[in-house]
Amino acid sequence: MVIKPDADLLSAALDRVVPPVGDLPGAGGMGLSEEVIKRCSADDRFNGALNTVLEALPSPNDFMALDDGGRDGALRAVESSHPAAFGLWLDIVYTIYYMQPDVHARLNWHGRSPQPDGNEMPPWDESILSVIRQREPFWRKV
Amino acid sequence: MVWHRGVYAPRKGAIFHLWRALDARIVIPSETGVESVWIPAHRTDTLPSDMTTTDHDPDRTADVLIVGAGASGAAVAASLSEASFDVVCIEQGHWQDSFKYPSADPDFDLKAISSWSINPNKRRLPVDYPTNVEDSAVDPVMFNGVGGSTIMWVAHTPRLHPSDFRVKSQDDVADDWPISYEDLEPWYDLNDHVMGCSGISGDPANPPRSTRPMPPIPIGRDGEMIAGAFDRLGWHWWPSDAYINSTRYGEGRDACNFCGHNMLGCYQRAKASTDLTYWPRAIDQGTELVTGARVREITTDSTGRATGVNYLDAEGIDRHRSARAVVMAANGIGTPRLLLLSDSEKSPNGLSNSSGLVGKNLMFHMFGGASGVFPNHPDPWVGPVANIILSQEFYETDSDRGFLRGYTFQMGRGQGPGAIARGVAGQRAPWGNEHHAILERRFRNTLSLGCIGDDLPEEHNSVTLDKRLTDSSGLPAPKITYRVSENSRALLDHAIAQGTKVLEEAGATEILINPQSRETGWHLLGTARMGNDPERSVVDKNGQSHDVDNLFIVDGSVFVTGGAVNPTPTIQAIALRTADYIINERGDLKA
Ligand SMILES: Cc1cc2nc3c(=O)[nH]c(=O)nc-3n(C[C@H](O)[C@H](O)[C@H](O)COP(=O)(O)OP(=O)(O)OC[C@H]3O[C@@H](n4cnc5c(N)ncnc54)[C@H](O)[C@@H]3O)c2cc1C
Ligand code: SF4
Repeated sequence: MVIKPDADLLSAALDRVVPPVGDLPGAGGMGLSEEVIKRCSADDRFNGALNTVLEALPSPNDFMALDDGGRDGALRAVESSHPAAFGLWLDIVYTIYYMQPDVHARLNWHGRSPQPDGNEMPPWDESILSVIRQREPFWRKV
Repeated sequence: MVWHRGVYAPRKGAIFHLWRALDARIVIPSETGVESVWIPAHRTDTLPSDMTTTDHDPDRTADVLIVGAGASGAAVAASLSEASFDVVCIEQGHWQDSFKYPSADPDFDLKAISSWSINPNKRRLPVDYPTNVEDSAVDPVMFNGVGGSTIMWVAHTPRLHPSDFRVKSQDDVADDWPISYEDLEPWYDLNDHVMGCSGISGDPANPPRSTRPMPPIPIGRDGEMIAGAFDRLGWHWWPSDAYINSTRYGEGRDACNFCGHNMLGCYQRAKASTDLTYWPRAIDQGTELVTGARVREITTDSTGRATGVNYLDAEGIDRHRSARAVVMAANGIGTPRLLLLSDSEKSPNGLSNSSGLVGKNLMFHMFGGASGVFPNHPDPWVGPVANIILSQEFYETDSDRGFLRGYTFQMGRGQGPGAIARGVAGQRAPWGNEHHAILERRFRNTLSLGCIGDDLPEEHNSVTLDKRLTDSSGLPAPKITYRVSENSRALLDHAIAQGTKVLEEAGATEILINPQSRETGWHLLGTARMGNDPERSVVDKNGQSHDVDNLFIVDGSVFVTGGAVNPTPTIQAIALRTADYIINERGDLKA
C-alpha cells in the first residue's frame, strides 16, 4: 500500500527538529516537507523511515494541537520507540536542510566541491619535521 | 599546454617489467638523468571510460582470467599483459567518468547517503551485491566498477611494519605470514611509483624506504596544529604517504587542488584510482576488460583444475570464458563468496576449501577515535579529508597496555554541515532547540584522530552464503558474521584516551568520542589466507591455491593478520608479486 505522507504534519515536525534560527524559518517553514517527501519517494529505505516516523506520531490534528513542548515530547517518544527509523529520518532531514543555499549563506559555507578552482593551501614546509627527525628509529625489528 | 617533468630512479637489480612499460611510455633520457614527460593535464579526448576492448575473440582460451578490476586485479592485469600473457578481466561494474563525479553536484550530500554511499546496502545499484549484516558489528563498504573500491577510497597509503608479518613469533597470537616485509618491499616500491605516492622518507616508526615519487601533500595549518601537539607530548607523527598527486604525475592526472571531497571521486584525477593508473597501461598492452559482467562460478574439469568462469553478461545472458588460469581479485568479501559459490562434487564445501578456511578469519580493522572541536579553526575543509599526518606511537605491542598489537592514528578533517549534523565526527547533532548552537560549534571546527587497530583473526568472524538474500542476478549474497573482540575493545579504548590527550594538547575545547563506527568495513581481509600449511591456509606464499594449482588469489583475502594500517599498498604489492611469480615460474600457463 502506498501511503501519502501528510505534508502538514511533516512540516510541523520539521519545524521542531530544525527550528528557526537568525533570519531563517525552521525546516518546515522553509517549505522542505515537499522536498523531503519527493526525495524519500525515490528511495524505499528513506520512504520506510519517513512513513514509520509519521505513522508513530499522533494524528495531524492532535499533533498540531500541541504546544512546542508537547510536540517535542511526541517526537521524543517516537525516537525511543523507533530509534533506527527516527535516526535515518533525521539524517535525511539534516541532509536536505543543509543542502539549501540560504542555509549555506547563513553558515558562510561554499556548499558543493569548489572544482575546478579548488582551494589554496600553504605549501609543504619541511622544517616542521625538525623535532620528530631527532627521534631514533623505533620500529620493532624481527 | 602544460608539461611537467620529474625523475624516476628504478631500483637496480630487480626485474621490473612494469618499469619498462613506464619507460617506454613516458621516460626520456636527458643530460641530468632520466626525465619523464606527462601529457597535458586537462584533456577531454582520452577518458578511460572511452576505452573499450572489442577486438578480442571471446571463444579463445585466454592465458589468465582475472575476476575483479579493482586495486589488485588492475595491477595483475597490467603486469601480466606487459609480459605478453593473454589476459581477460571480468568486472561486474562499469567505467566511471571523473568529470561526472557527484562531489560538484548541489545534492552531493544526499547522494553520499544514497546512490553514492560507500555502503552497497545503501547504494543498492544493480552492479552491487547486498550483504547480510544482521550478525556483524561492522558493515562492509566497497565500490563495484573499474577501479573497484579505489574509486571511493581516501588513498592513505602506509605500509605494514616488519613485525606485522611475525605476529605469532613475537606475540604468540594468530599466525606468522609465509612472507616478510623484505620479500614485499620491491613490489611496494613499484606500486608506489605506478600509483603515484606523495610523501617523504625518513619516518622513524618504519624501516627506511625509497624516495617518494612526489613531495608530501601540504599538511595545512590544521595539520601543523596537531603535529605540534604530538611533538609536545614527545609522541611520533609523520606526514602521511598518500596516493594523491602533490604535483602533476601520471598521464592526464593533475595535482590535488585541495577541494576536500575525495570520497565522492576526484575531479582532478589527483587521487589515484586504478582506472587511471594500471588500467590504461593494461589495456594498451592487450588486456581484454569485460564490464557489466558478473561471475557466478569458477568452472573446473574432472581433475579439479580451473577451466575458466561462468558469468552473466550486461544483458543477463549466461556465458562461459575459458582460461588456463584464474586469478581472484574480487576483494575479501567477493572472493570467498565466489569460491563458496563454486562448489562441485569434487569440492562440496567450495573451491579451494579443503582447509575449511575459505570465508573464515574475516578482519576489517576496527575503527573508532576522538574528534576535537577547535574554535576559530584555520582553513576548514581545505585539503584531502584524511591524508594529512599519522602517528604510530602505539603501533607495536607493549604488554603494559593491556592488549596485544597496536594501532595507527590517522588525522581527519571536518566535513560539510550535513555530514557533521549526521554525526560523521562521532555523534549525531541533537535535534530541537539545541541543534543550531551545537552544529555551529562543531561545524568548521572539527578535527579527528581515527584509530586503525590491528584486528586479529578469529575463525568465527566470517563470510558465508546467505540462504535467502540474493543479488540482482539471483546469486546468494554474502552473510557477514563479525564481533569486536576483547583485545580490540581494549585497544580502541586506549586509542580514544590517547587521542583525547593529543586533541586537548592541541587546544580542543570539546571532545566527541566515537567508540567504534559501524560503516567502516573498508578493509576486507583474511578470508582466504596464505600460509605454508595447506590445512591452515588457502593459498601458498605466492597466492597459488593449495588445492588448485592454476587458481590464484591476490586481494586482501590472503592477509594472515591485518596489521594496523590501511592495507591497499600491501594488497597491490602482493598482487604484483604473484604476477611476477606467474611470469617467472608458471610459463606453463602461457599459450
Ligand atoms: C570509502 C573507502 C575508503 C578507503 N580508504 C582507503 C585508504 O585510505 N587506504 C587504503 O589503503 N585503503 C582504503 N580503502 C580500501 C581499498 O579501497 C581496498 O583495500 C582496495 O580497493 C581493495 O582492492 P581489491 O582489489 O581487493 O578489491 P576492490 O578494489 O574492491 O575490487 C574488487 C572488484 O571485484 C569486482 N567483483 C566482485 N565480485 C565480482 C563478481 N562476482 N564478478 C565480477 N566482478 C566482481 C567488484 O565489482 C570490484 O570492482 C577504502 C575503501 C573504501 C570503500
Ligand atoms: S582534495 Fe585533492 S585528492 Fe581529494 S578530491 Fe579534491 S583534488 Fe582530489
